[in-house]
Amino acid sequence: MSKRIVVDPVTRIEGHLRVEADIENGKIVDAYSSGTMVRLLEEILRGRDPRDAWAFVGRVCGVCTSTHSLTSVRCVEDALGIEVPPNAELVRNLMHCVLYMHDHVVHFYHLHAMDWVDVVAALKADPKKTSELAQSISKWPKSSPGYFADIQTRIQKFVESGQLGIFANGYWGHPAYKLPAEVNLIGLAHYLEALDWQKEIVKVQAIFGGKNPHPNYLVGGMACSINLDDVSGINAERLAYIHQLLKQGKEFINQVYIPDLMAIASFYKDWGAIGGGLGNYLVYGDLPTKGYRDTASYKFPSGAILNKDISKVYEVDLRKEDEVQEFITNSWYDYEGEGGKAKGLHPWKGESKINYTGPKPPFEHLDTSKEYSYLKTPRWKGNAMEVGPLARVLVGYAKGVEEYKAIVDKTLKDLDVPVAALFSTLGRTAARGLEAVLAADWALEFYDSLIANIKAGDTRMAEMSKFDPATWPKEALGVGHAEAPRGALAHWINIKDEKIANYQLVVPTTWNASPRDAKGQMSAYEAALIDTPVHDETQPLEIIRTIHSFDPCMACSVHLYDEDGKTISRVSVVGD
Amino acid sequence: MKDPKNKILILGIGNYLMGDEGIGVHLAERLALEVLPEGVDVVDGGTGGFHLLEYFESYPNVILIDATLDTNPVGTIRKIKPKFSMDFPQAMSTHDIGMKDLVNALQILGTMPVIDLFVVSIESIQQQGIILTPEIEAIIPLLKDKVKELMHELLVTEKVLN
Repeated sequence: MSKRIVVDPVTRIEGHLRVEADIENGKIVDAYSSGTMVRLLEEILRGRDPRDAWAFVGRVCGVCTSTHSLTSVRCVEDALGIEVPPNAELVRNLMHCVLYMHDHVVHFYHLHAMDWVDVVAALKADPKKTSELAQSISKWPKSSPGYFADIQTRIQKFVESGQLGIFANGYWGHPAYKLPAEVNLIGLAHYLEALDWQKEIVKVQAIFGGKNPHPNYLVGGMACSINLDDVSGINAERLAYIHQLLKQGKEFINQVYIPDLMAIASFYKDWGAIGGGLGNYLVYGDLPTKGYRDTASYKFPSGAILNKDISKVYEVDLRKEDEVQEFITNSWYDYEGEGGKAKGLHPWKGESKINYTGPKPPFEHLDTSKEYSYLKTPRWKGNAMEVGPLARVLVGYAKGVEEYKAIVDKTLKDLDVPVAALFSTLGRTAARGLEAVLAADWALEFYDSLIANIKAGDTRMAEMSKFDPATWPKEALGVGHAEAPRGALAHWINIKDEKIANYQLVVPTTWNASPRDAKGQMSAYEAALIDTPVHDETQPLEIIRTIHSFDPCMACSVHLYDEDGKTISRVSVVGD
Repeated sequence: MKDPKNKILILGIGNYLMGDEGIGVHLAERLALEVLPEGVDVVDGGTGGFHLLEYFESYPNVILIDATLDTNPVGTIRKIKPKFSMDFPQAMSTHDIGMKDLVNALQILGTMPVIDLFVVSIESIQQQGIILTPEIEAIIPLLKDKVKELMHELLVTEKVLN
């Protein structure tokens, strides 16, 4: 007899994801993922000036904010045939790398670490032993016995008071927590340090983007002016400050994040065989070094992998109508015209007409035999695909890019696990860390290139010759893509008579969290949950681990139901 | 970052694309157009989450404005003085997780400012669009007055303290 598990949005929480799954003999045997909230950004954008779209899409979420703006200016530039100057490309890349550094560290320590680190057990650690261990894995200076003892004292107070949700709501003591007390304490100490660290690195976004959150972008380039001697623009002093922030950021990633990730992972190697799911991976690519159109110049190479076969990487073309398509078989939408609900639409022809047929909230269960989500179901050549750090690392590795080869092989060797361990929850979490290392290195490369350009006298930051709508064609199609920290993101635009006629976003969480397609193929979340063990259904820590490993752009709650469909437990899953 | 020497930050948060849920951002936008006394900054915090940590750490007083879904009539304005994340209204807007995490972080770091939170009760967060409903638009003058009244009180207190 299986039990139904529900990962619920509980309306009012950002993102609104719900997963219903069945457990049998301690393992998940079936799962359904549902987006229960709709954000019809497409409707807000229709009829507006395409040059303003970045400002609206940047508001869609507080985490991916700059990624959506970047993707938006790219799609408008693509439609209008605008090539941004090298400095604008470098500044965009720099800001994007900084977003990666910030997002991946915050995800690891503040949204995912407590799935592996037992806070309460950390309080029992011996500070002296913790200090010895910390010094054996890293040269990070904050590692004295006194430092760790102080952390314990501070946290003890909060745990006792019960006033802090983050420390009050865990499954502390769950047998799936496997770390020695000292590793738990190191993880906890760095959870706190990362809080302070993250507010420094985001200053790079604020300096180049004028403000943060929601930094400024510009169709044609960037809105910041560079003049080494100007007090108000990006001058020598600010650039030096950025350099310092980037170096400090890299230091933290290499000396804190990675040693912690490796130490923690070494106790959870069994998770190298759990949560793999689809085995199909999709990457649009990002960080161009010779222009957006020159995909061969990308630091994040594009491509698709099918059935875990890394001997072959397929080309991806977002313009081809038979590659990326969105289906609505199980979604609360209608398509007009011939084919109706059964057809798949390329986003240039995409429609967003809602037709909600689900139960009236609040409800206990969705009827998963019918439509069950506000997410459409994107497919690449008919295949369900996983997007995100693991997809990017696998494509880079499979394409034999040296930087990826080196870092992946070293990690596999250090952990003493086979390549196959990458296709897992652990692989996803590890890939995110490796990307942070690469992003930190690349940020410094981009910084050096920017300085070299400026010193050579090139201070151009925007290409404005096609900014005036009078220069535009009557109709133009464009596609902008980016690799958001949590996966492949693209916007498709149709500009008609100087206005937005259609604008479609296909976001990473739609790839990963969408409902099944007409053939019954699961998307990434559903597939990854299959066979996930659940030791104690009142404390479904394992489900949270796998869901969090995707870095879902949402917060959700897990509800557990017994055979009669009653809630037997309710668990907050905090995400972003 | 605004001027960290200033004493009061008025921070509106919310999702600008989701109708009334964006009330905090709308108010910040409008206050930013006014001439405010020395010592006061206004920031549109959007759906910032952790990105806002330093704003909270840079000011001794933060006046926060946000939407809430509760059982009160639409347009009800309440002032709360939250000290812990659990003091925030249960269903505060669509970004409550980010806000609560932020307050947790400030607590742990020991850098929590004095926060006064104005919450406005809204009907639904399923609205799409950047325009406020007439009910919420109508309470903006009152909300603005309340925020400014508190701002003046805090300025006087701050001067006494100094």
